[in-house]
Amino acid sequence: MMPPHEFRLSHFQAMVIFALVVSVAFGFLSRRGAYQRARYILWSFILFLVIGVGIGWTMYPFSH
Amino acid sequence: MPDELPIAETSSAVPVAESASPCSAPAGDHRRRDALALAIAAAAWFLPGLGHALLKMWGRALACFSTVALLVILGAGMRGNIFSRSGEDAFAKLGYVADLGVGSFYFVARALETNGPDVSHANGDYGTRLLATAGVLNMLAALHAYEVTRARKA
Repeated sequence: MMPPHEFRLSHFQAMVIFALVVSVAFGFLSRRGAYQRARYILWSFILFLVIGVGIGWTMYPFSH
Repeated sequence: MPDELPIAETSSAVPVAESASPCSAPAGDHRRRDALALAIAAAAWFLPGLGHALLKMWGRALACFSTVALLVILGAGMRGNIFSRSGEDAFAKLGYVADLGVGSFYFVARALETNGPDVSHANGDYGTRLLATAGVLNMLAALHAYEVTRARKA
């Protein structure tokens, strides 16, 4: 049985959490003002996901 | 919101030497500011968010603390590898440096990971990356706090 403080995440869940947390940290450190931060966080989050999924699909043909 | 103000405009912020430009400040002020910047960077490294909290940048302090804490809890919860000093190869040594970046949270991660690492599954491998990311993010935040104190950034 899994201990209560252990997590099992899928590849996609791990990537989404990573992208969200890093985007929030980058947004708060590099931008000032709520609007600028929100825009940066959203943009960075979307780019993390799109590039991550894109790299995954690019590697897909080589895995067979 | 105090977090929005540059450090020089916050009256309640940590007192740094007031000067129009770094070139016109006396050498003593430079040295004092450098020493203060190093102390704040060390505080920011030791406890994520503390450096920005000392600079009264509450939003950034909260963001640094919560993001690093979340990554450490997730990384340890996913049974990622927490590297120790006795790393055998260059990657293990680099991993140790990255893990040390979380400061005191390094010991929190070790305490949380009671069952030890398990990198035989992708979950543990992701956990290793999350822990390293937490360390590198915290080092970036410490560098930011250092630069803010030296009035190079707002």
